[in-house]
Amino acid sequence: MTTIRRFCCNDLLRFTSVNLDHLTETFNMSFYMTYLARWPDYFHVAEAPGNRIMGYIMGKVEGQGESWHGHVTAVTVAPEYRRQQLAKKLMNLLEDFSDKIDKGYFVDLFVRASNTPAIKMYEKLGYIIYRRVLRYYSGEEDGLDMRKALSRDVEKKSIIPLKRPVTPDELEYD
Amino acid sequence: MASKFGLAGGIPERRVRPIWDAIDSRQFKNALKLVTALLSKFPNSPYCLALKALILERMGKSEEALSLCLNAKEHLHKNDSVLMDDLTLSTLQIVFQRLDHLEMATSCYEYACGKFPSNLELMMGLFNCYVREYSFVKQQQTAIRMYKLVGEERFLLWAVCSIQLQVFCGNGGEKLLLLAEGLVKKHVASHSLHEPEALMVYISILEQQAKYGDALEILSGKLGSLLLVEVDKLRIQGRLLARVGDYAAAAIIFQKILELCPDDWECFLHYLGCLLEDDSNWCNRAITDPIHPPKFVECKISNLTDEVFDSRMSNASEFVQKLQGNTGNNFARCPYLANIEIERRKCLHGKGDDGKLMEALIQYFFGFGHLACFTSDVEMFLEVLTPDKKAELLGKLRESSASISAVPAKVLGQSITLFKIQELIGNMSKLTVVELEGSVVQMVEMYCKNLPLSKDLDSQESMHGEELLSLACNVLIQLYWRTRNVGYFVEAIMLLEFGLTIRRHVWQYKILLLHLYSHLGALSLAYEWFKSLDVKNILMETVSHHILPQMLVSPLWVDINNLLKDYLKFMDDHLRESADLTFLAYRHRNYSKVIEFVQFKERLQHSNQYLVARVEGPILQLKQNAVNIEEEEAVLESLKCGIHFVELSNEIGSKSLTFNEDLQSRPWWAPTSERNYLLGPYEGVSYYPRENSMTEREANVRSIIERKSLLPRMIYLSIQSASTSLKENLEVNGSVSDPKIPSELKILLERYAKMLGYSFTDAIEMVLGVSGGQKSFEVFGSDLIDWINFSVFLNAWNLSSHEIGLANGRCADSILEKYVSDKVSSMETLITSPWVDLPILVQLVTESLAWHGLVIQSCVRSCFPSGKKKKKTGFADQSCLSRIRDSVLSLCNTLEKVRKWLKEQINRPEDENMETLLSSLRKKEQIEGPGQVFQIIETFTSSIHDTELGERISQSLKSWSHVDVARKIVAGKCTVLSEFLRICDSKSKLFQALKQQIAQA
Repeated sequence: MTTIRRFCCNDLLRFTSVNLDHLTETFNMSFYMTYLARWPDYFHVAEAPGNRIMGYIMGKVEGQGESWHGHVTAVTVAPEYRRQQLAKKLMNLLEDFSDKIDKGYFVDLFVRASNTPAIKMYEKLGYIIYRRVLRYYSGEEDGLDMRKALSRDVEKKSIIPLKRPVTPDELEYD
Repeated sequence: MASKFGLAGGIPERRVRPIWDAIDSRQFKNALKLVTALLSKFPNSPYCLALKALILERMGKSEEALSLCLNAKEHLHKNDSVLMDDLTLSTLQIVFQRLDHLEMATSCYEYACGKFPSNLELMMGLFNCYVREYSFVKQQQTAIRMYKLVGEERFLLWAVCSIQLQVFCGNGGEKLLLLAEGLVKKHVASHSLHEPEALMVYISILEQQAKYGDALEILSGKLGSLLLVEVDKLRIQGRLLARVGDYAAAAIIFQKILELCPDDWECFLHYLGCLLEDDSNWCNRAITDPIHPPKFVECKISNLTDEVFDSRMSNASEFVQKLQGNTGNNFARCPYLANIEIERRKCLHGKGDDGKLMEALIQYFFGFGHLACFTSDVEMFLEVLTPDKKAELLGKLRESSASISAVPAKVLGQSITLFKIQELIGNMSKLTVVELEGSVVQMVEMYCKNLPLSKDLDSQESMHGEELLSLACNVLIQLYWRTRNVGYFVEAIMLLEFGLTIRRHVWQYKILLLHLYSHLGALSLAYEWFKSLDVKNILMETVSHHILPQMLVSPLWVDINNLLKDYLKFMDDHLRESADLTFLAYRHRNYSKVIEFVQFKERLQHSNQYLVARVEGPILQLKQNAVNIEEEEAVLESLKCGIHFVELSNEIGSKSLTFNEDLQSRPWWAPTSERNYLLGPYEGVSYYPRENSMTEREANVRSIIERKSLLPRMIYLSIQSASTSLKENLEVNGSVSDPKIPSELKILLERYAKMLGYSFTDAIEMVLGVSGGQKSFEVFGSDLIDWINFSVFLNAWNLSSHEIGLANGRCADSILEKYVSDKVSSMETLITSPWVDLPILVQLVTESLAWHGLVIQSCVRSCFPSGKKKKKTGFADQSCLSRIRDSVLSLCNTLEKVRKWLKEQINRPEDENMETLLSSLRKKEQIEGPGQVFQIIETFTSSIHDTELGERISQSLKSWSHVDVARKIVAGKCTVLSEFLRICDSKSKLFQALKQQIAQA
């Protein structure tokens, strides 16, 4: 029971129960608002009956040439609405937009190497571990860069895993 | 950064780059060295000057920075040959902005644009300046100039957005929209539109003027193809059709959307609304608060004839059946919930049947009863049932749950749902104490029994059955409220702490605990849990209400100072940077976000909490410095002697306030920060619908701000008043002191009295009555602190005015002394009892007594000018001195009573405290009363099966210790008391010193 619509500023005042969850980062205002100002089509929220916020996804599109791609910055679902495939719905929405409207080659995301439940979920959604980024999270924990190829990448070149891990300063984008 | 700029103000990039690199890496000293060297080569380059100013500002040298900026500005103006590029101006603008001189940056750009009227880059810079200043009209004019210059679509839309801003956030009339429409129309005729957002703006302008037909025409025309996502286009189309009143066509569109997105609940409601020709979905948008949208679906009783109504509803049912058939998977709840909504509408139309509604609910329970969101999904439907029917439904759900599933996690989910429904329908209040105890025992047993289900879960994931402990806590607090047996209260704490031992991330437990600890008086523990919630950024606006009000009346000054500082910094930072983000939205052509950002900034700016924090921050500073009059005067000076606050107090009545707090997460017994049911008698209710208490809250906040913002000025005037009164006495020829002070103080006192609901004379009579013992403190009601403050300021005023001639002018002393004696002798032993009176005592000492102390300090200072111990002589002086002496003695006495009492509490042996606390739980051989849940936990932890529970859970269970929790509670309460004692000690020291000073006189 999900009405998915564009995220708006007022939702920042309504997503408390989602963000109090310890795995959901609450970014600073300019971070959210930069995403809203630049990529409003990549920032969506799901609402339940009674106008409750179920979860949201934020992302962007970036890169050049064959690395033009969609990026998932955050996706989160309130505990009350978990185990209903909402994250999948939100991810599909972003993938669809990257694929059909922005014509990207792939979608990527970063996840903590220790976050097994999330990694498993992304794998189920068709993402593969493209490379490991050493000490990506606050210089401590490794991150995994996961990718899923879109229809424009016919030969699936974008998702051939790298053999060696990279360091954060080798990353092309922040 | 430098690479972007190329040649800057005629200076080669290679010279500038190292400076920017140094700035970016925060090596300001190095940057300063480099820029100084560069300046010696280019002493008149405005760019170099601006760069140096920027560095100096970052180093905290604001004044030097400002003078350099002004210097650069002067060079720009006087020298025609100087290159006037955007880089120079934008660098200047950064510094001017940080120095709070936006207008100077604007004037630089205005000058430059006047000089180079066809330079687009400069004009964009100027536009940006107006965005920062929120000057919508000038934004519009600048955008139009740019549009005329290059004819680009984006500049036209910048102008259009600026017009919309004038209408929504400025004082422009709606007629302006017609102008905006005309501009777009003309552009479309000659150039068409090329951006989807431009089309959205165009449609919104038409919609805002109720020109729905025109909007529809545009949407279905060639421009409509700009919207690439089909569903987005359909949504707009459906909305416009409904608003124009073509419900039949709108219903067809919504039907189409539902076929594409069968789980879209809002769309289903639109569909149903259109079928029933009900416009409530469309009309009420403007009045609905976007932050607190109604939980319930608004709808009108349909005017359709019975026949038409029946046939439309049966169409809807058919369509919903079809959707159910199509969706197949189990996750789309909408088509199933839709059935319930259809039955509800029938009931509202008088054609329904409770039985059918209940049947639909039961069907929904079959499919989704195990989900955590079941209860919130169906909450709105239960509203139409009578209490009896609700109870009947609960019974039926119970019966059906037995037959549904054998999967343990699902069975557990359903059982939790049943408890939640029971709570929701208010059934708990009908149960006896024994039944409630039974219920809570069942919940906790269920939690323990089902722990093995979570054996293989990652520690990050939420566990099965977590909600049970929150539910159990709710019932235990209900039991406490009914019986006043504190054992239940302690048991609730133990239970939640136990849950957090098993998984430390459950924020729901943390919030409940935070409130329990606050109520019990262990505020330092409450604050610990609050900190563990990692509340930051925007969450500070929505979540701080859980802790802020209690902290403000506590002695935990360091913590409250941090809380206020962080919160104010967050808000101020946002208000500062918001305009830049708005400009970002302009640049990226996301015009709808422009309006949204400006409205959001206004929303935060008017936040009631922000306003309260801005008043409480300075008051805290005044409290902290009250033991030293010189420091207090410095604080007052930084506050402009409280003048602005008086203005705030005058204006607050007409200011619009916003309420952004998320109250959903509050416990049932304290639904807003103003209410705590546990403080009052049991009312026989267990579930409080969170009614919209906005009006009540608004009135309350206004009155708090109105009163509190008078304090700084009254304190200032009282200090002045006290010192001038003595000077008057001392000067032989009575050199005239400022007569305005007593008269202004009198005006404020009159206002203060009025706020308390009395005339000035009646208020004086009231405090005299209480101080003389003819009236009891109860007459002050809940405004006690305000009344005592009033008596303190009245006393100060009396010193210099003698208008009313209060006997000895000592009513403040006696009120303080009396109240403290009363309280201290009657307060319960604190360790096991909730904190009810302590905050009042704390406020009394840290506020009223502190302000009174300042008046006395001021008097003493006047008697012994420039620290000389030798007093001047005179008759008046003697009587004054003896009055001051009496006051000081009285305050010493009062403080001594508090300190003695605090020490007694703090020094009680820990074992004794622990024993008192734990004895409320341990009642062996007893089948009723608190302690049963506690026993379940203890038995469970003493017989852990590692294999069953998995290593992680077993390990955490082994670390559980109720003794540790008890010790923590005792220590937590002692921390608060010790902080209070520390404050009392410092005050006591001050008055002892004053006493000595006077004695030596």
